[in-house]
Amino acid sequence: MSKIIEIKKLRKVYGDGVELVALDDVDLTIEEGEVLSIVGPSGSGKSTLLNMIGLLDTPSNGEIWLKGQNISKASSKERARLRNKELGFIFQYHHLLPEFSAVENVMMPLLIAGVEKKEARHRAITLLEEVGLGDQLNNKPNQLSGGQNQRVAVARALAGHPSIVIGDEPTGNLDSKSSDMIYELLRKLNREMNQTFILVTHDMDMAEKTDRILRLVDGKIVCEMLRDGDKFVTRDLCKLDK
Amino acid sequence: MFELFVASKHLISRRRQTILAVGAVALAVAITILFRSLINGFETTLNDIIFEFVPHVTVLPEDGESYIHLYKTLIETIWAIPGVVAVSPALSTTASFAHDDNVENVVLRGVIPDELNKISKIGSDYMVEGNLDSIQNGRRVALDKELADELEVKVGDSVRASFPDAKTMSLVVTGVFDTGGFSPNYAYVSLETARDFLGEGNVITDVQIKLDDIYQANEVASELSALGYNAESWQSQSGIVETIQSRKFSNTMIMLLVIVIASFGIANIMNLLVLEKTKEIGMMMAMGATSSNIRRIFLIESGILGLAGGAAGCLLGYLISAYVNSLAIAISSGPRFSVILTFIVDPWDLLAFPLITLLLSIIAGVYPAHQASKLDPVVALRG
Repeated sequence: MSKIIEIKKLRKVYGDGVELVALDDVDLTIEEGEVLSIVGPSGSGKSTLLNMIGLLDTPSNGEIWLKGQNISKASSKERARLRNKELGFIFQYHHLLPEFSAVENVMMPLLIAGVEKKEARHRAITLLEEVGLGDQLNNKPNQLSGGQNQRVAVARALAGHPSIVIGDEPTGNLDSKSSDMIYELLRKLNREMNQTFILVTHDMDMAEKTDRILRLVDGKIVCEMLRDGDKFVTRDLCKLDK
Repeated sequence: MFELFVASKHLISRRRQTILAVGAVALAVAITILFRSLINGFETTLNDIIFEFVPHVTVLPEDGESYIHLYKTLIETIWAIPGVVAVSPALSTTASFAHDDNVENVVLRGVIPDELNKISKIGSDYMVEGNLDSIQNGRRVALDKELADELEVKVGDSVRASFPDAKTMSLVVTGVFDTGGFSPNYAYVSLETARDFLGEGNVITDVQIKLDDIYQANEVASELSALGYNAESWQSQSGIVETIQSRKFSNTMIMLLVIVIASFGIANIMNLLVLEKTKEIGMMMAMGATSSNIRRIFLIESGILGLAGGAAGCLLGYLISAYVNSLAIAISSGPRFSVILTFIVDPWDLLAFPLITLLLSIIAGVYPAHQASKLDPVVALRG
């Protein structure tokens, strides 16, 4: 396995007058093909970390390396290009474009990348079939259920063959049955395509199905647990009192 | 192109706003086109009148003089100018005409009927009774119809012409013409009769000239002025063309303002759209859309609204103009000369207005598009 992401002394501070430290010197290495979950209380900096990795936000200090490229100081155009090429996003809310059908929504990252419409459609149909929506291709988001929309969002996140898929509470808005379905889908895709998944979640059941769990409190990683068969073992010290 | 794909979807799915924005621009453009076509029609009608009635160049006596002497030399000089198609000398004076108890003041003009006819077609096109040539034979007169009606005379009757210092004489009416109000109180006699009436010799008071090309008039007038004559072109005599032009210009400016306002309705719609689409803009950015992609989506969108509005307005304006034109509404009439409300759509307008509205709508879209493009994706996604 090779390192796909390396984070060194990452720091993010918000605010001008009263400073709020969202991330406090975080060091983290993520391997290719890993399924990683980040847990922690609200305001612990989980989403901030995810936005940094997702190139949606820029660090105040420290470095992020993506596939050996230091992207902490990349221009907004370069970051947009990398988001399109290397990253796929799944949010708590599906954020599908309401005017567009399922297949058009999945085509969108490819169209942004400049892929021919016909080719993009072909790829989108394949993906929708894979997430079990082969019969709902032309339905718009308001004609689909919450779980179905989230599956469209998964298909969209995968459309551009990203090396990393980022999920910010991807099942946070779904019932447990739909959540399981989404998670199984992600896991299956991970096994088939060796994509890296980074998930922020409140759902400990889901976190426990991943390969590694990071617990974030006050902008610091306070605990790291690694899967060992059916159990998790803690690495380094785990400040569970926090 | 992904931007066009998104923009057109927005427009189609927000049908009501789209129709409203396009409709507002279209209405403003249609009214402008209709108005301009009316002015164009009016201008054309007026030009026709000028071509038919008004001499293109008039030579008058020098300042301080009452008459032009040695006019035969002048006429020869005029005929020598290329492009001259008619030269009509006249001896003009004011006179009182009396018939029974009716007395009217008239403009009495001694003319050569053939030459006058070439200037204003009075003899060939506007006679309602008798003819113009008959005035050549002694003490005869042709009158404007309004004047004849006031005096209660008809062909065959006599009128008594008099004026202080002039010789009172009796004239037999041999012709009545009706120009629909373009020659009120005009009475034509032969040059000889006029000279006899005034007791003058071989003199005239003016020469009217008609040209092949009316826009040559200023040139011909200055040529004659250079030879020492007092010559004026129709342009310098009547300010009506300038009046129409300036009216057309100022009204077009006002209409343009209306179009600008309608186009900036698009800005309003785009602002609302950007607010409404904030999360989706964030998502598109997450998917890799750059700021310029986002900006382009909204510029294309407002551009389409403007272009569609302009084109629809042109079509609407054209159709209304054509329809009203086909009604042939008469606003004044004479025997031959009836002024009909004409609408002439300038083809350039049909090209220019969609381009103007396209440009305006793109300008209107700049600010909302800029607002959208500089959204922070993290903030936008949070909504």
